[in-house]
Amino acid sequence: MTRTLWRDHDWHLIHVDPQPPALHMALDEVLTHEVGTGRRPPTLRIWEWGGPAVVIGRFQSLRNEVDAEAARRHGIEVVRRVSGGGAMFIEPGNTITYSIYAPLSLIKGMSFQEAYAWMDAWTLEALGELGIKAWYQPLNDITSEGGKIAGAAQAHRGGAVLHHVTMAYDIDAAKMLDVLRIGREKLSDKGTQSAAKRVDPLRSQTGLPRDAIIDHMIATFRRLHGLSDDALRAYELAQAQVLAGEKFTTPAWTGDVP
Amino acid sequence: MHGEYKMPGGKLVVVDLALSDGCLAQVQVSGDFFLEPDDALHAIDAALEGQDAGADEHMLATAIRVQLAPGVMMYGVSPEAIAVAVRRAIDQGAAA
Repeated sequence: MTRTLWRDHDWHLIHVDPQPPALHMALDEVLTHEVGTGRRPPTLRIWEWGGPAVVIGRFQSLRNEVDAEAARRHGIEVVRRVSGGGAMFIEPGNTITYSIYAPLSLIKGMSFQEAYAWMDAWTLEALGELGIKAWYQPLNDITSEGGKIAGAAQAHRGGAVLHHVTMAYDIDAAKMLDVLRIGREKLSDKGTQSAAKRVDPLRSQTGLPRDAIIDHMIATFRRLHGLSDDALRAYELAQAQVLAGEKFTTPAWTGDVP
Repeated sequence: MHGEYKMPGGKLVVVDLALSDGCLAQVQVSGDFFLEPDDALHAIDAALEGQDAGADEHMLATAIRVQLAPGVMMYGVSPEAIAVAVRRAIDQGAAA
């Protein structure tokens, strides 16, 4: 396998209506597999969230990370994703999340650190065009003068790499700290004021609505790498719905690391 | 018993365990690190299960290393970092 460049691939875009959290987890697994087999072209998927969620990393302990009672009280679904990394607190509209499904050849020969920065170079460019000076902070964060913007995670499956990123648009910090246990320590660790009511680096630094930022990111990707509009195939959605029911909503998976 | 260690330049490693007859039991390693393939986590837990509670960091790291299948990739975590978190769980648990 030789190294490929972004422009060697025919990139497709999926940006569809809001979907429930567990279906997003399942779509990542299905679409990574589809790109790995070559049945689907390399794809950028922008997520829209159908409901609030805590998404924990593949190797995180459920009880150490999540205050289950608080999650229930706020009506928040807790799901475990297929990639490592840290917990995310999601409410529809409070974050921008995307996945890139690419052949492994795109990061062939790269260290983990290089591969993360490579997969998000277009994002840094898009943010720069919106007036945010952002850079990669190893291992897997995108940060800015106004604080951390995003966390990334990769997983390798078959012949494909899944690279997904969640960016903070405008997060209710109090609710997040109510639900995430580790978040309480991490925030103090990073010098963020615990009294902060919002974690809103994208909103406060661009002054733009979330949709406008997403439109600009898509335009940047399209300009740099090429991008054709696409949709989920019916069989992809059907597979993901089965997987959401049989895996990603089950206590066995969510509690795999109890 | 619970121990945590933030690997320098890496991620947070968390270990929960119990002691049974002077040996590690119910070992659970967790954290916001990255492992490929993902079932390597259960191999790591299994490698630590039954280890002597007096084992030092080097012995614990070696026990993990020999158990890992060839080709396992770790990012933001290492056998040594896990061993530190295990020792912290044991020592802090003993002090509590």
